[in-house]
Amino acid sequence: MRGQRSPCHRGVSEPRASLVFWVLLMAVWAALNLVFLGDDLFNLYVALELLTFAAVPLVCLDGRAETLAAALRYLLFALFGSVLYLLGTALLYGGYGTLDIVLLSDRVRPELIAFIAVGLMTTGLLAKTALFPLHLWLPPAHAGAPPAASAMLSGLVVKGSFFLVVRLWFDVMPWLLNQAASQILSTLGGGAILMGSVLALRQARLKLLIAYSTIAQIGYLFLMFPLADGSTSAQFGSSVALTGGFLQAISHAFAKAAMFMSAGLIAEALGHDRIAELRGVSQLLPVTVFAFGVAALSLVGLPPSGGFVAKWLLLTAVITAGQWWWALVMLVGGLLAGGYMFRVLAGAMEDAVEPLIPRMSVPRSRELVALALALCSMLLGLLPLRAFDLLRIGRQHASEALTKPPHSSGAASNATLVPLDFAGSR
Amino acid sequence: MNGAPQLWLLLLATLLPAAMLFGCALAGFRQRILSLLWIAPIPALAAALVGGTQTLVWDCPLGRITLTLDRPGAILLGVAALLWIGSGVYAPRYLRSEPHGVRFAVCWLLTLIGNIGVFITADLASFYLAFALVSVPAYGLLVHDATAKTQRAGAIYMALTLLGETFLLIGFILMAAATPSGSLAIRDCLAALPASPWRNPTLALLIAGFGLKAGLVPLHVWMPLTYTAAPAPAASVLSGAVVKAGVIGLIRFVPLDLGLPEWGGVLASAGLLSAFYGVVVGITQANPKTVLAYSSVSQMGLIAAVVGMGLANNDRGTPLAVAFYAAHHILAKGALFLGIGVVAATGSARLWGVLFPAAVLALGLGGLPLTGGALAKVAVKQPLGSGAVSLLTTLSAAGSTLLMLHFLGCLKKAATPDDKETAPAGLVLPWLAMALAAVVVPWVLYLATGVGTLYAALSPGALWEALWPALIGTLLAIALRRWAEFLPDVPEGDIVVAGEGAARATVSWGAVLERADTLLQRWPVACFSLLMVAIILVALMLSGR
Repeated sequence: MRGQRSPCHRGVSEPRASLVFWVLLMAVWAALNLVFLGDDLFNLYVALELLTFAAVPLVCLDGRAETLAAALRYLLFALFGSVLYLLGTALLYGGYGTLDIVLLSDRVRPELIAFIAVGLMTTGLLAKTALFPLHLWLPPAHAGAPPAASAMLSGLVVKGSFFLVVRLWFDVMPWLLNQAASQILSTLGGGAILMGSVLALRQARLKLLIAYSTIAQIGYLFLMFPLADGSTSAQFGSSVALTGGFLQAISHAFAKAAMFMSAGLIAEALGHDRIAELRGVSQLLPVTVFAFGVAALSLVGLPPSGGFVAKWLLLTAVITAGQWWWALVMLVGGLLAGGYMFRVLAGAMEDAVEPLIPRMSVPRSRELVALALALCSMLLGLLPLRAFDLLRIGRQHASEALTKPPHSSGAASNATLVPLDFAGSR
Repeated sequence: MNGAPQLWLLLLATLLPAAMLFGCALAGFRQRILSLLWIAPIPALAAALVGGTQTLVWDCPLGRITLTLDRPGAILLGVAALLWIGSGVYAPRYLRSEPHGVRFAVCWLLTLIGNIGVFITADLASFYLAFALVSVPAYGLLVHDATAKTQRAGAIYMALTLLGETFLLIGFILMAAATPSGSLAIRDCLAALPASPWRNPTLALLIAGFGLKAGLVPLHVWMPLTYTAAPAPAASVLSGAVVKAGVIGLIRFVPLDLGLPEWGGVLASAGLLSAFYGVVVGITQANPKTVLAYSSVSQMGLIAAVVGMGLANNDRGTPLAVAFYAAHHILAKGALFLGIGVVAATGSARLWGVLFPAAVLALGLGGLPLTGGALAKVAVKQPLGSGAVSLLTTLSAAGSTLLMLHFLGCLKKAATPDDKETAPAGLVLPWLAMALAAVVVPWVLYLATGVGTLYAALSPGALWEALWPALIGTLLAIALRRWAEFLPDVPEGDIVVAGEGAARATVSWGAVLERADTLLQRWPVACFSLLMVAIILVALMLSGR
């Protein structure tokens, strides 16, 4: 069971894997920073490639045959995505002579070449984000990687390409948001929520369950696209949707990282992660199970978690935009999430038939890391929204959709949940 | 924030249990937590006793938190705190030899915080938080022993609780979205409700959400399962205090000043249906806990009927009357559940000393004259009016008497087989104190809050009005004893069995999706989808040009 062992665990007998892990971790971090700060579509392509090539080896750190296969699957499909993205970039450059986002947003017109370019680029990015039905690589890759790597992959790496979709649709071609094409993104998102949640409910292994839950949670991110539709109470709805979407991304990152780390600790202590055989683990690893539970509350969307606030904002946007069917999908997704989390936690809380003997003891410090991440996702709901101004760093022209209201509206503008907070000026 | 001591008490009411919760991180405190549970609700009781209408507005980063203690809230808060204290004294002795004491205590404190919270929060966000706290952690109280039966009860409880949370979430969001000022204060949102484009869906969702918590038919199925599965002190607070989260929700969120006859009619019919349904199914049960649970279904139904009539008739006195009725139910039902634990530890030779107080409490729920139950019935007379609904509620009192006599019969059989056994003082004393409170506190509240006059309670006419349903109930109970064998055998939670069947049928859909997913994960299919997504995207963009 070498594969279940986190490479950041001290005293691990594989100095090579441990070294590689840290190097790749730094590479992922650098690539993500580049994705978040880049303002040129080709630079962003480079960032995206860097991200993929740093992420893929993380999957197969332990070198087992099955994780190697998962990593190859990931690599190949991500490369398809890269090709499509690059093709679109070339088309845009040929059509408009620039790849700078600010310049391009002025020059680009709603015409065939722009449509083909953005269609190809979006599809490529969706493949890297593992949006349903392009998720074939995600479950084996995220479930097979070492826990610390899974936390990064599920929490952050898939958000990198998602962020580029947002930049493309909101910053380069905001007029696309008003069109039927944005409905296809949220349709795929809705499909991801239902499919991912139902499949998570049916998994036998904990890490696979968490991986399918990631597929479902990615779906929520794409619900915000048609909600930015300008025709109905435009700015109000669009900003609420965008904030809700980003909050969902951040809170999911914390919760999912906590969850993968907890699952890793459980697998390490028990020697397996079969959900049906988790009885008694809450006595063995109370802190870990507690961390898992707190993260689960955030994913289900119970207050005061970040997941709750995100869901509240997205639902508000859905209602204001009059697209109630998305509310239905989100609520069903929430109930299903409650179902699969309950399955794990109820089993873990049962008494063991005979006292569990841990295969190896789990250091308290690692349990506390998982707990800290879970608490972050829980406390995110208490953070004033102004903190998310951070999201604007690196955007040279504050694009319309990301404009925040002026900070002059008094005490009420502090409120996380006051919808008026978003009725800011254009 | 002004510095009035009442407001600090209000804050302390939630902060003390929270502090005790964090104290559980310390091993030394953790070992003693179970015996300290009774301390946690004391500030809440004090805040309710200090009383007065007071509002605490606190702009914290989360938003504007508004804590208000109005009179209905204060009545429910104080009486609920009393029951939490009583059950808190009772719990350590009852659970002495069982494992998971700390887990029980943690869930107890979380539920307590939520329970206090629902009575004092006055904005949507913190109310929703409190409502989630009073609902979700209760799972840990009821699956205390890990038998298959409690697991099933717990699973059904969680499923329905999450469903209720979902109803409320979307209801609250509809309310907030329809409030032009952007305020989240319940009062502002209610004021904006008449003009809301989603008025009817909002009301339907709120009634469904709170009705589920209060156990209105057909969303009552979790109640018999849960109360039967939970240990006695947990069942006591769940059936007494926690269920009132649904009642306060109905009082706070149903726009009583609007006077909506159609919605009032819906709520009143659902309530009356529950009131009779609880009795009819309750008399088929043999477990005293289950019988009490069905009695709760019936009593909460009656409360919903009162709220419904208040809504239809635009009656401003409804919240206070309902709070008073609910306050009596908190103590009586709480004490009866504690009594079941006492009876289970008492031999049949010494049973009568235990059964007598239980009988007074039980018949009080049916409205026996001079008991708190009779006062409660007097208090809700005004909102009920004098029409057919009033007559039906009187008949439901006869039904309650019948159900309670049936309960006493079941209770007698629950005594321990050892004749000479007596229950330990750690169980008897808190139980007797609660039983006494259930008789005395309604009288004190009745006179102090002015929900009715002494004459209305003690005039010969009033006494007769309370007595005849009780007599009918007694006659029915005699008839039931005679023909009991003809009753069908209804499982606990009655229609839940059908629900479980439907749930299993939906699970088979999962298999279909699983096959679809396997297909989607094949390389040719995945590449084809990649291509199709690109083509559809471009095509839609072109068509939308």
